[in-house]
Amino acid sequence: MDEIKNVSLEMKDYIASSGAETLSWCMQCGLCTNLCPWRLVPGEVSENFNIRKMQRLGQLGLEGFEEENILFACVTCGMCQINCPRNVEIIDNVRSMRNTTVGAGFLPAHLRPIAGSLHANGNPWSGEREKRAAWQNGLDIPAFTEDTEYLLFVCCTSCYDTRSQKIAKSIVRLLKAAGVNFGVLTAEENCCGESIRKLGDEELFQKLAQGNIDLFKRNGVKKIITTSPHCLYAFKKDYPELGGEFEVMHYSEVLAQLVKEGKLAFPEELVRKVTFHDPCYLGRHNQVFDPPRELIQAIPGVEFVELDRSRNKSLCCAGGGGRIWAEVPMGERFGELRITGAVEKQADTLVTACPYCIIMLDDACAGLEKGDVLQVMEMSELLCKALDPK
Amino acid sequence: MPKGIWIFVEQRDGQIRKSSFELLSEGRKLADQIGEPLVGVILGQGVETLVKAVAAQGADKVILVENEQLKNYSTGAYTSALNQVIRKGEPQAFLMGNSATGRDLAPRLAQRLGVGLASDCTGIEHDPEKFLVFKRPIYAGKAFAYTGSTARPVLATIRPNTFAIAAADESRQAEVEKETVSVDPADLRAIIKEVALATSKRPELVEADIIVSGGRGMKGPENFTILEQLADVIGAAVGASRAAVDSGWREQKFQVGQTGKTVSPTLYIACGISGAIQHLAGMGSSKFIVAINKDPEANIFNVASYGIVGDLFEVVPLLTEEFKKLVSA
Amino acid sequence: MNIVVCVKQTFDTEAKIVFDSQGRIDPNGVNLIVNPYDEFALEEGIRLKEKFGGTVTAVSMGGARAQEALRTALAMGADKALLVSDPALNDADEWVSTQALAQAISKIPHDIILAGRVAIDDGSSQVCVRLAEELHLPSVSTVLKFSVEGNKVTAVREIDGGTETLEVELPVVLTAQKGINGNEPRYPSVAGIMKAKKKELKTMTLADLGLSALEPKMKISKYDLPAPRQAGKKIPGEPAAAAQELVRLLHEEAKVL
Repeated sequence: MDEIKNVSLEMKDYIASSGAETLSWCMQCGLCTNLCPWRLVPGEVSENFNIRKMQRLGQLGLEGFEEENILFACVTCGMCQINCPRNVEIIDNVRSMRNTTVGAGFLPAHLRPIAGSLHANGNPWSGEREKRAAWQNGLDIPAFTEDTEYLLFVCCTSCYDTRSQKIAKSIVRLLKAAGVNFGVLTAEENCCGESIRKLGDEELFQKLAQGNIDLFKRNGVKKIITTSPHCLYAFKKDYPELGGEFEVMHYSEVLAQLVKEGKLAFPEELVRKVTFHDPCYLGRHNQVFDPPRELIQAIPGVEFVELDRSRNKSLCCAGGGGRIWAEVPMGERFGELRITGAVEKQADTLVTACPYCIIMLDDACAGLEKGDVLQVMEMSELLCKALDPK
Repeated sequence: MPKGIWIFVEQRDGQIRKSSFELLSEGRKLADQIGEPLVGVILGQGVETLVKAVAAQGADKVILVENEQLKNYSTGAYTSALNQVIRKGEPQAFLMGNSATGRDLAPRLAQRLGVGLASDCTGIEHDPEKFLVFKRPIYAGKAFAYTGSTARPVLATIRPNTFAIAAADESRQAEVEKETVSVDPADLRAIIKEVALATSKRPELVEADIIVSGGRGMKGPENFTILEQLADVIGAAVGASRAAVDSGWREQKFQVGQTGKTVSPTLYIACGISGAIQHLAGMGSSKFIVAINKDPEANIFNVASYGIVGDLFEVVPLLTEEFKKLVSA
Repeated sequence: MNIVVCVKQTFDTEAKIVFDSQGRIDPNGVNLIVNPYDEFALEEGIRLKEKFGGTVTAVSMGGARAQEALRTALAMGADKALLVSDPALNDADEWVSTQALAQAISKIPHDIILAGRVAIDDGSSQVCVRLAEELHLPSVSTVLKFSVEGNKVTAVREIDGGTETLEVELPVVLTAQKGINGNEPRYPSVAGIMKAKKKELKTMTLADLGLSALEPKMKISKYDLPAPRQAGKKIPGEPAAAAQELVRLLHEEAKVL
């Protein structure tokens, strides 16, 4: 039997004061736990992490939620939250509960280099700040000026990871092909801070966000195109709290509109069977479902097939909520379920539209050795192929 | 007689450590610059035979301190003995290798003498005004501090491999001064019960100065033997990429990367590792990175100081042989 | 058992080194952490207390921000904390730091003093061994594992190419290697973090310790940065020739072997 613990009003207040305002709304129905993607995999985290129970411990001010396998397990996919009958802001509660320890200086050991790099370099990948824009060499990307319509904000991952740089380069090419008036301030930007905020480091998030907001305002930025749905989320939902109000769009929204307007077309036929993985932060969190589908289907020759779990029911790749830096044994990775799902649909191409999803899905595809039957592609890469298949 | 530059000649079981020869070689130059003698200090029991090698390496004088208590290194006895000979001989500088012994001994000796110590130095410059200026890597090598002392003697420990060993001159003779010391019983409170030398024991991943790491390109667990052979020649730890761990070829505790162990050794040798961003972020601060991969487009080449495009099963054994030659030279 | 753990606040491992206008290392805006080796020492100190009872006092030296490091120690489970803080210590070398810490710790009952084997900032690895000398205590450095039985400590320390087992009586100073006793520094509970806010954290100046300003033995004349990393090069040629060239470059150019 579990040891009897004392309910601590003091701790309950401390948790609430960290921002878990809707914790008390929870009536413990347990729908959240049952919808949680962790139920779909075996293993230690799955056995330990129960979001309903974690919130119950928080409600009562009981110890036991701080264990790394519990407190830092949530991928913030939002599956529970959009279905919660009490509209509990579950993800806010998760990040607030994380903040009770992280805010006091205790980030789990494996996350410290990430926070350290964000502090020192403004990105989580230990990339040198001076090299943030190095991928742009030779691409002739205009700097953002007061005459520029859109700021293109490129995710840290796509600035530093050679694999991910292909995404940034493809998006640039598409925007240019469509004649979009855009420019960059890459060299001076910080990480958007979305993931570190979810990890509970509010102070670091605010430092990063404030830097970006000041930069955007100083340069007269009004409209922003993001390459990553995570930056999209941060700018749309987090930055207004700090006074940063901008018109923000994911690149898929901009391109889909341009296709409709006839300013962007894909002349080359691609004979492929394509399926789409909805990134949680694009779909569920920002309700952008149709633009990627419209774009993929604007390519002649493409046969589009939906995964069993799509749109609002999409299954997370496990890269959100800071989990992109978590080590999970094979067989417990959600990405593997997505790869298997795509292979079952006999798709030859699994497309997604998020740099984090790409890392997780690429990894799962290589791990399952499915590379010979399934190609994981970022949507911009597929679209570029259709622009010019060479 | 002037007081000179003194070198602590570290010996174990009658064998002089390589770093002591390095220090004698550099000490010779410094002694010539300041016009003072170079003195080697040998502590032990039955170690008089070592005098010749110390003289051949450039010492003008050897202080030989023999005592049963000094047969094997112990912090207390060595501190006690060196304190006595240094107070008596008043050197300008007393230099030691930054070995486990040097790191343990030097601070205690410096405190007993009430002097300064520059530890883990990677350079020494003679400056007419400041006497000796020591270059020290700080913040894990991200910066250097140049430090000196106004008081004498100044103590320093020097990182091994900092200085080259000069050719020995077997014809050189050195004056030998035998010193007797008494070891204070209060210095013998920590009693050594056992010494276990495990030459094949590989260092811990996070502590290792050199790491040899294998990835998906290793193709199977049995092939890590070639990395282990390479590692053992150069005293390296063996790491693995996530792909190698996923495949069950190595245990998770050997995984290098943001999701495993973040490491920053002096040298990181990546074999058959393509270079996922979590891996690169977890080892990118290594001082030198060597990549061996058959795919010339592999990400790892973007961070590598030196790369060889080729079949690791061919290159690694050749590399092991080359390292063997270097180590035995 | 009276346990003292020396804790240093250092730059984050990821911190970038930037100089101020006087050419000194600029701490502004740098994230600060507890020296990782000291966390291992803290863990061992707290475990000793859990086993034998007693008090763990965390002691640090530094500016006001070092209080954060001590709060961390208190949240992990230390009972009390003492910060030695004085503007006159800004240019402290290892000798000066030792004098101040020895004076502070001599006033605290201590059966065992623990610290990390090295601090990741200056990397000098001196102060705790000096401290042992100043307090006339035996010390064992770079301890991989140890146990306490009655008055006797058995410790295994790392030496070049092996290990050494020592026996020593309390009181003693031990410096911890990472992974000492196979333990990881604990992650505190929220209750621990809350309790830490109410624990005693004392600050003492040199005057409080009965010391006047001390002249350091060592003076840093300047700092500089290593040469920027050169662009990588691929070594061409047949495998045998390439391997030979690589070893030559590592030895002669990189000087790592």
